[in-house]
Amino acid sequence: MQEWANQLCENRQFGSKMTDSKYFTTTKKGEIFELKAELNSDKKEKKKEAVKKVIASMTVGKDVSALFPDVVNCMQTDNLELKKLVYLYLMNYAKSQPDMAIMAVNTFVKDCEDLNPLIRALAVRTMGCIRVDKITEYLCEPLRKCLKDEDPYVRKTAAVCVAKLHDINAQLVEDQGFLDTLKDLISDSNPMVVANAVAALSEIAESHPNSNLLDLNPQTINKLLTALNECTEWGQIFILDCLANYSPRDDRESQSICERVTPRLSHANSAVVLSAVKVLMKFMEMLPKDLDYYGTLLKKLAPPLVTLLSAEPELQYVALRNINLIVQRRPEILKHEMKVFFVKYNDPIYVKLEKLDIMIRLASQANIAQVLAELKEYATEVDVDFVRKAVRAIGRCAIKVEQSAERCVSTLLDLIQTKVNYVVQEAIVVIKDIFRKYPNKYESVIATLCEHLESLDEPEARAAMIWIVGEYAERIDNADELLESFLEGFHDESTQVQLQLLTAIVKLFLKKPTETQELVQQVLSLATQDSDNPDLRDRGYIYWRLLSTDPVAAKEVVLAEKPLISEETDLIEPTLLEELICHIGTLASVYHKPPSAFVEGSRGVQHKRLTSSAGSGESVESPDTGSAAVSEAPPTVIPSQGDLLGDLLNLDLTPPTSTGPPPTTAPGMQLGAMDLLGGGLDSLIGDESEPPPIPLRTDTPQSPQPPHQSPSPPHYSPTELGGDIGGSPAMGTGFGAPPAAMPASFNAPISGGLDDLFDLGGGGGLTMGTYIPPKSVWLPAMKAKGLEISGTFVRRSGVIQMEMTLNNKAMSVMSDFAIQFNRNSFGLAPAGPLQILTPISPNQSIEAALPLSTVGPVMKMEPLNNLQVAVKNNIDVFYFSCQYPISMLFLEDGKMERQVFLATWKDIPNENESQFQIKDCHLNSDAASNKLQGSNIFTIAKRTVEGQDMLYQSMKLTNGIWVLAELRVQAGNPNYTISLKCRAPEVSQCVFQNYETVLKN
Amino acid sequence: MISQLFILSSKGDNLIYKDSSVRGEAGSDVINVFYEKVTALPGDQPPVVMNHGDLHFVHVRQGGLYWVATTTADSSPFSIIEFLNRLASLVKDYCGDLTEKAVQMNFALIYELLDEVVDYGYVQSMSSDVLKNFIQTEAVSPRPFSLFQLSNVGLFGAETQQSKVAPSSAASRPIQSSREQGGKSEIFVDVIERMSVVIGSNGVLMKADVEGEIKVKCYMPNCSEMRIGLNEEFSIGKSQLRGYGAAVRVDEVSFHQAVKLDEFDSSRILRLSPSQGEQTVMQYQLSDVLPSAPPFRLFPTIERDSGGKLLMYLKLRCDLPPKSAAINLCASIPVPKGSVSMSLELSSPDQSAELKLQSRSIEWTIPRFPGGTQLSALFKVEVPGLSPSSLMEVGPMVLNFELPKLTVSGLQVRFLRLSPVQPGPAQRWVRYVTHSDSYILRI
Repeated sequence: MQEWANQLCENRQFGSKMTDSKYFTTTKKGEIFELKAELNSDKKEKKKEAVKKVIASMTVGKDVSALFPDVVNCMQTDNLELKKLVYLYLMNYAKSQPDMAIMAVNTFVKDCEDLNPLIRALAVRTMGCIRVDKITEYLCEPLRKCLKDEDPYVRKTAAVCVAKLHDINAQLVEDQGFLDTLKDLISDSNPMVVANAVAALSEIAESHPNSNLLDLNPQTINKLLTALNECTEWGQIFILDCLANYSPRDDRESQSICERVTPRLSHANSAVVLSAVKVLMKFMEMLPKDLDYYGTLLKKLAPPLVTLLSAEPELQYVALRNINLIVQRRPEILKHEMKVFFVKYNDPIYVKLEKLDIMIRLASQANIAQVLAELKEYATEVDVDFVRKAVRAIGRCAIKVEQSAERCVSTLLDLIQTKVNYVVQEAIVVIKDIFRKYPNKYESVIATLCEHLESLDEPEARAAMIWIVGEYAERIDNADELLESFLEGFHDESTQVQLQLLTAIVKLFLKKPTETQELVQQVLSLATQDSDNPDLRDRGYIYWRLLSTDPVAAKEVVLAEKPLISEETDLIEPTLLEELICHIGTLASVYHKPPSAFVEGSRGVQHKRLTSSAGSGESVESPDTGSAAVSEAPPTVIPSQGDLLGDLLNLDLTPPTSTGPPPTTAPGMQLGAMDLLGGGLDSLIGDESEPPPIPLRTDTPQSPQPPHQSPSPPHYSPTELGGDIGGSPAMGTGFGAPPAAMPASFNAPISGGLDDLFDLGGGGGLTMGTYIPPKSVWLPAMKAKGLEISGTFVRRSGVIQMEMTLNNKAMSVMSDFAIQFNRNSFGLAPAGPLQILTPISPNQSIEAALPLSTVGPVMKMEPLNNLQVAVKNNIDVFYFSCQYPISMLFLEDGKMERQVFLATWKDIPNENESQFQIKDCHLNSDAASNKLQGSNIFTIAKRTVEGQDMLYQSMKLTNGIWVLAELRVQAGNPNYTISLKCRAPEVSQCVFQNYETVLKN
Repeated sequence: MISQLFILSSKGDNLIYKDSSVRGEAGSDVINVFYEKVTALPGDQPPVVMNHGDLHFVHVRQGGLYWVATTTADSSPFSIIEFLNRLASLVKDYCGDLTEKAVQMNFALIYELLDEVVDYGYVQSMSSDVLKNFIQTEAVSPRPFSLFQLSNVGLFGAETQQSKVAPSSAASRPIQSSREQGGKSEIFVDVIERMSVVIGSNGVLMKADVEGEIKVKCYMPNCSEMRIGLNEEFSIGKSQLRGYGAAVRVDEVSFHQAVKLDEFDSSRILRLSPSQGEQTVMQYQLSDVLPSAPPFRLFPTIERDSGGKLLMYLKLRCDLPPKSAAINLCASIPVPKGSVSMSLELSSPDQSAELKLQSRSIEWTIPRFPGGTQLSALFKVEVPGLSPSSLMEVGPMVLNFELPKLTVSGLQVRFLRLSPVQPGPAQRWVRYVTHSDSYILRI
């Protein structure tokens, strides 16, 4: 064995990766054959060596599955070493050879009863790892025995095996009652068994967030705390993590748990320490701050955190990321420990940067002198990245600790004197921030800064310098010269610098109008005429117009007092911080992201929150609604166990627990900057003699043109258009074609007729016409400079359309229409451009239909069906919001199988059910069913109980979410009751509204 | 929760791969993904946790190998890193050495270890005491028989002075070998301290931390208990009053969980039943205060001479007790940008110094620096266009050194008792060493 292993080594050492794989792929069948012979040898030693060789080949990725039967044959042996090797092999290949794996079952079952506990445990461990469905049923009996085995080693292995089995077949585990046995194991006498039972239960509970599996009550907590003292370190981690999920009833219980967890802080294993810190940080929230114990606890937390910093750099980094969170939440813990965060010259750069960040967070008046001295040293080091951060940190200190600002500024000036290029640039960037925090205080340094103008080559530094010159233009004698020097290479600058230069020169002009007129004109024309950048052009035009219409207003706008920048920058948002504190010691705390952001299939992921002492003591855990709305919930099919109707009778019809708050309507879009210019622009457009006439956002980069001479739109002659439409035989289905290619807007004269055609084509295939809400005014003319838009949404043969009437109530022609949607709940987006082919003359109205797709970007809106739209024409951009009926999103294939419906209904937890009343509806159940079907709400079954008709209905949204409904109609009673169940309960409100509108119209 | 575990050679070859939980749906191509990621990582990116889709890699490097674990859940990187480090030392204990070759030759043993150590991604027990009951495979030692090992037998087999000192390789052998191969029963106790010091340009001690640990490496299968006696005047915590004399004080102590502390409070004795192999018995640290003066002081004079050269006259004083010495001392002093060449004068011939243009620094090496002495050096650096502000770029000086047979905290092992009394020539070795972790002298 040694010989061939040596050979293997040598081959690997001499060859590169390429030759390695070559060496292995070219192995002949002969080798397999040889191994086969050896495996069937009579000599135990030879067999063992052969199995070892097989496993070696397996490790390097060679396929040795052909040897499966031969290896399995070696299984029946009393040599433990050989047995272990065979089991190792089995685990790897059982999945690809399920039929063969069955062959091994008998041996497994036999081994589970072996006298040697090692073999019993080995068998049960391996069986659980073989993910072959067929094997699971054989596993149950041996597992049951092993869970009650007299040997703790076997029991602890069996406990983990339950988790394995649950992953393969959850139902089986529940049916067999293993979960109860597992719960009993929490009270086992052996701490290792307790630890594994807790780990297994935690994992199972995670996949069933609503189950009460790990029922944490004071008794179990007590048991866990007792086990904590005896368990291995790894077991302690499971137990502590489990404890962290518990919410104590009151502060006394919190305190007593804290007291019992505190000794873990001095454990040598950092994972234990961090898990203990997590428990303490969480339970500390419940303690009143005036309690003596609270102070004691705070003191106890510091040393273990400091200790973590003496570990290897990897652990240090992870620890620092956690400390960063803790410091943001409770800076008092480490306020006296500033020195441990001073960097060592041999720290890896990522540790240095993290330490720097924490230093700033801990900086206060008390220690600022020490911190500044340190930072100044760092700023002269060699590592460029680190030096830059250090210089930035000095600036952050100045902003954070007001008393130190002066010293910081002088430190920065010292650093500028070194003339090291990147130090100077960083210093200028942070000095700009200091000016923004303490305006009019440190202008004396400007002269020094100006000396270094030449050496600035990074956009951020140039932009900062230009900002300073512009802001303090009145105190800099040669400000115009300085800015002019930048202007020479205007087009080579980055956008950031260009924008800053534009603003600075306008500021300069407003401050010293007499001598800088030429300069401002130069920059305005550079920005508006010679640039392709829309931001720059827009800003240029705004300034231009402001300056030309009302210089006083311009002064007010441009030279307005700026808000001070806030003290602490880049703090983590408080709710996220709270959540992250609950995840101390996990990956979330390293990424500084909630687990839902990086754990796939966040089925069990729950947002954790801290519970504070002021609260009721209930844990505030809410299911992750954000991801539920997007994720599809595939219905699970379970075999039918009888009559559907009978089963439905047993459905849990408990009244809903919550219906959610009523949606707040019409959250209008902010017009933001546009308002600023409102009146002035109007008057400008009205009066053409005003110089310079500026159309906003025309797509022509040419010189400004009067608005009515806008470039002509792509032109189709009406006859051509008519021919296309008329010639298309199947109008309804025609919409299935790529929408971009469709003529989607029509000219006024032919629009009426075509609309009729559409209705016929679209409605033809359905038993009952789809309900189309009447058009309502979305954008009133007075808000949009004479453009009035009214519209509605239609779904025809699977295509969603937005139908609009555009009415020009202004005095001038409108053209150049375009449309855009904001991100919305279901990803609605225009499938093609808004095609309005001819300009709309005054008092003309035009119909336009815009096909929509549902593949756009998604963002949850409030209310859910809210859609924010921007429409542009040659005059301006207008914003409005409208609500679409959710039935637009119901798919034609939304009819669920009966069995699937039944299973899904049961599967969706009751919390997700909402109940509503529909009042004053005088349809009978059949009529209602027909009517609803027109909107793709399908009735799956109907049942009559005591004069009450129950309709079971399903619908499917475009993003794959199923909504199940039960509609109860009582003859003679105009009030319907509807229960909705959905995995994303937020849609229920919308769906209900939709029911109401459809049924009442 | 660990999904997959693998050990890669420095070249990225797969040595050991285990889908430890069977949950990992991703195949073994994760190995290539990992290797590509880790080698392509830019320097300022923390390599500790990396992700590929929803798969997260955590790895450490030990013995030139990558020890990698993957996870898909939001599990604790601390436990994983701790686990990987432990695993590496366990492998070292079992195979005797931590090299690519040792791992390759002992793959069956390592698989067996992994089987016991992780079950379904949950770490079980990593103590070699527990494991020895389960592990069947014998270690294969990659070290061939070598004449070198005879070197500590003197002429004609006589005992020499040399044989009283264990060879430095003595502690690297598989733990199991002691039970069958009749290896020597030995025990090694190491007291290792690392100090980080910052001394300001005015000579004030700005920061001084000492991190220390006591490591026990045991090759004594039948040793049921050992007692380690520390200095009697050993106090913990900042608040405790210090007596006169050679009291040793530390701020924080943590112990291995196998250590029994019933005699610790009264007489500073650690009791433990040592597991085979290496374990860290105690860790401690001391911050801000050193019991004695910092070992090195620098007295620099830096100026610009009339010819525009940078003159650095450095006096380095060693404040160790006269009988001790620092060895392998290496000082590195950053010099201004644009330095071209250097001429130098050193106070003794065994020193050497060199201008490294790549790192912009002077490397001054001193092989041995006895306590209570002083060395000096004069460096004349040619820097074209030297300006007064470039003088700011000089320094700080960073020292790397080793202090053998010395602990800066003053911690000593008073005695080492084994029970039951070991038959035969049981060897007990105690070693002290202090390393510089980060020793900075600002200029």
